[in-house]
Amino acid sequence: MTQSVKNKNFSTSGLTKSKNRFVSQIVIPLLIYNSLGIFILGWAFILMFYNYSPGRLGGPILGLGGSNPFIGLGNFSEMFQGISVKSRLFLVSLKNTLVFAFAVLPLNLVLTLTLAYLLEEIGSKFKALYRAIYFLPVLMSSVGVAIIWLSMYDPQAGWINAIVRFFGGQPVAWLSDPRAGFLGVSVALWAVILAYLWQDYGYNMVIFIAALQSIPQDLKDAALIDGATPWQTFRLITIQLIKPTFLFVSVMTMLSSFQVFDIIQVMTNGGPGNKTQVLMLDIYKNAFRYQNMGWAAAESFVLFLIIMAITLFQMRVLRTDWEY
Amino acid sequence: MNIKTYRLLFVFVVLSLTFASCTAPSQPTPADDAKVTLRFWTHTNNAFNAGYDALIKSYQDEHPNVTIQRESFDYELYLQNLQTAMPAKEEADILQIFGTWTSQYYERLAPMPAEIMTLDEAENQFYSAPIGGFTVNGQLYGLPQEFNTEYGGVLVNKTMFEAAGVVYPPVWKTMDDVIADAVKLEANDSSGMMSVAGFHFTAADPLSFSFLAGIKQRGGDYWNADRTGFTFNTPEAKAQLEFYMDAVQKGVVDPVVFNDTTNFVIDAFFTNKVAIGYIGTWAIAEGLTNFPDFSDEWGYFFLPPIQGEPVFVADSGWGLAVSPNSKHQDVAWDFVKYVTTVTANAESFNIASGTIPALKEVAKSAKIDEEMPWVGEALGTLPYGEYLGNMPDRDLVIYEIIYPHLLNALQGVETVDEALEAINTEANSTF
Amino acid sequence: MTAMNDSKKIALPSQKKSSGFEEKRKILFLILLTVGLVATLLPFIFMVLTAFKTNTETLRVPPTFFPQNPTLDNFKKIFSDPNLPLLRFYGNSLFVAGFNVTMTLLTSSLLGYLFAKFEFKGKRILFGWFLVMMMIPSHITMIPSYLILAKIGLINSLWGLIIFSAVDAFGIFMIRQFCETFPNDLLDAGRIDGASEWQIYWRLVIPQLGAPMATLGLLSFMGNWNAYLWPMIVLQKNEVRTLPIILTWFNSTHTGQGGLIAAATVLIVLPVLFVLVFFQRWIVKGFVTSGLK
Repeated sequence: MTQSVKNKNFSTSGLTKSKNRFVSQIVIPLLIYNSLGIFILGWAFILMFYNYSPGRLGGPILGLGGSNPFIGLGNFSEMFQGISVKSRLFLVSLKNTLVFAFAVLPLNLVLTLTLAYLLEEIGSKFKALYRAIYFLPVLMSSVGVAIIWLSMYDPQAGWINAIVRFFGGQPVAWLSDPRAGFLGVSVALWAVILAYLWQDYGYNMVIFIAALQSIPQDLKDAALIDGATPWQTFRLITIQLIKPTFLFVSVMTMLSSFQVFDIIQVMTNGGPGNKTQVLMLDIYKNAFRYQNMGWAAAESFVLFLIIMAITLFQMRVLRTDWEY
Repeated sequence: MNIKTYRLLFVFVVLSLTFASCTAPSQPTPADDAKVTLRFWTHTNNAFNAGYDALIKSYQDEHPNVTIQRESFDYELYLQNLQTAMPAKEEADILQIFGTWTSQYYERLAPMPAEIMTLDEAENQFYSAPIGGFTVNGQLYGLPQEFNTEYGGVLVNKTMFEAAGVVYPPVWKTMDDVIADAVKLEANDSSGMMSVAGFHFTAADPLSFSFLAGIKQRGGDYWNADRTGFTFNTPEAKAQLEFYMDAVQKGVVDPVVFNDTTNFVIDAFFTNKVAIGYIGTWAIAEGLTNFPDFSDEWGYFFLPPIQGEPVFVADSGWGLAVSPNSKHQDVAWDFVKYVTTVTANAESFNIASGTIPALKEVAKSAKIDEEMPWVGEALGTLPYGEYLGNMPDRDLVIYEIIYPHLLNALQGVETVDEALEAINTEANSTF
Repeated sequence: MTAMNDSKKIALPSQKKSSGFEEKRKILFLILLTVGLVATLLPFIFMVLTAFKTNTETLRVPPTFFPQNPTLDNFKKIFSDPNLPLLRFYGNSLFVAGFNVTMTLLTSSLLGYLFAKFEFKGKRILFGWFLVMMMIPSHITMIPSYLILAKIGLINSLWGLIIFSAVDAFGIFMIRQFCETFPNDLLDAGRIDGASEWQIYWRLVIPQLGAPMATLGLLSFMGNWNAYLWPMIVLQKNEVRTLPIILTWFNSTHTGQGGLIAAATVLIVLPVLFVLVFFQRWIVKGFVTSGLK
């Protein structure tokens, strides 16, 4: 009795006090942690204006200055001149990254949406099993995926060429022929795209399945009764209703394919003849293999700008019925 | 929590971080001066490290107060590790260093004390190519243990030679003889893809180093007169690249299917896909270990020069250096001297690691000849080895500029002139 | 009830034709899906079979499907090689994943709850900051983070994989979304009973968060278990490495050891298979909720 009365007296000022204490107990350590984040971001930003290598002595603050000189926008102006080897590799990587991302996006969306649609249409007996198996590569280490595909693409001992030979085709050095191309894109890049799609499609497929399940059956039935073909129903009702998911999935797919690294580093390391060199790989090599960290920071910033621009553009285009 | 407090916190964290970065971790000083513990870093290579461990043991037996703790890193990461440890002054007392790296890190290495060895003494005892890598501006920064040569030697598949009716052991007076044999040895499968390369010379190190050697043998140079820039757009370089183009034209190797990443020499040779494989001697041990069921007979031979004297360029070799931050530099140098200059020790290391000796005396020893007969064959050419030269970024020049453009030309992606022009421009942009 | 049954019965004859069409369509779809299934599974099967081949057989032309002389040598070699303490690599991976999952769950639940149920000065700014952090790709912070680790001596330490992963913006959003549906009365009742704010969080909030926490935990675990780039940069010594880096190390330093690499891949994928079999529902659900947040 007395206890509860006490508490009631307490509640007005005491409660807010204890609430505030709770908030500050969490927020203060968080702010300290976040300032580490701000510090890191600031450092990343400053680095790109320097010719910085951690191997050199440099100046007193963060090793900047001295033998790691400030060069202003020097990194950026060199990037687009195309004379030095760093610049050539950057431009090639930029091109390959764009090709990669814009090839992956439509292929992935068509593949995953089709699979999700088909899976929803068949009986539930198989659905769970099929979905689980399709999902398997998503959970796998991308390094493992790359190693499997690497052995399948082997020009002589690989299975893909064995199949090509079986059907009387001309075998191809999938990952090592810089001349071979398809639709103006190197075969090696296509080969990597295929492996990437294989690993990735289960993810978007599952998201599409959920979106499809959320569409009321009545709506589709009504359309069918009105004489719409399944294709029309799909196009006019299904697609319209899953538009928000579509936006989400395409933004996420774009973001991750712009940052592709694991699979390419393991499968080709950028070869043949830099045909699969992408920005993340170039950033990694410059920062950690050749220790040109200032240059790598500048490249990272360019990649960040591209990602931001494309994400904003996609949001704009597909915004129409987007609700948070 | 207002903005002011936020700012204060931020300043506090930045300050504490800067402060933390300024205080270098203090090295533990041994309480007893007689007891010395040295740390020793190497790259991961089982054969090399077995050689080191044996010498560490015998050194510790002779000096009971000294303990040497060896630690190894994978090759690709060793360099990165050195680069992060050195600024923090956390590197080991004794460092295994590849000679060519010295020119990039000499500011962070201890100069060789004259009482250990002077440059003159070193140049007398060691071959010039390996010792060149450890010398910067006339100062020694370490001593080599091996003569690393990617140039000149080939693995030869005897069984294939005999099956194709090619004379074995090969009689090669000129490089044209090699190409002529290789043409007889190559084979394609039914779909037209090359299944056996007659002469696989298109991996990164062999192609790059034989290219540089070829320029020298033809009387040219890839350095300008005062060594401040590269000259790759010379008639000699062009002639050398055209020689390779011609070999590819004749079909001795398909550079698309056989190169550094696809069908690397070791894999391909030990799975019967290569008749003559251009690779350093280090490949022998690795190939035999990884492919125990390789049943063909084989040999290791040296190639004739493209013309003139068998001049070649070499990349120095592995050796030892000492950290300037070491508390016991004297002991560290004593160990380095013990390992690299005492003939019996250097000899046992070279045998254990399967490497060509850097010490002239050891290279000529009977025991080496017995254990590694191919060293004797190389003996005549070793004095012709010249040091590659101190480049601002050796890996970038070899692996991102020279090799890729040469391969582009061979694969038909660039013309000879385009490739050489690109090599020249890009290599000079690294200065 | 009866009316519905009747209508069903009545509807049946007229639907018979279309249901035959439906059946055919379903079978066609099933065939298409099965083709996709085979394409998904075949690479796995290749890998498992390759693990039982000798190195020479892995490079044979044309390739063999089933191992000619099935051998366990690859597995034996992996488990006996003193340079490859596989159990240790499992341990490293588990340690990092376990620690990061715990931290993520703790901070996400705490902060998600805080953002959902408390009002305080600067909340919007703080929340906006997490929004920004979610938009910034990790490659931007990679280089300075590495330099900081080098300065404080955490290169080659598993802690280097941990200190920057304590707070996960995505997790905060997910939990916040969930916490907003909590009735305030429940929390207030706890307060009236004299429970401290921490007790409320621990005894009232956490038990309600089972489903989203399980999902978040699994997602975080998979992410950590398969992480490659950052661990590769931070862990430069063999004995501290995690599994995916060991795989590439195999691939780069063991020339032509196809069988060995396949065996190692199998061993690394096995735990993932277990996870898939036992937690399939959770994972799929998790990806879906995360996708449709």
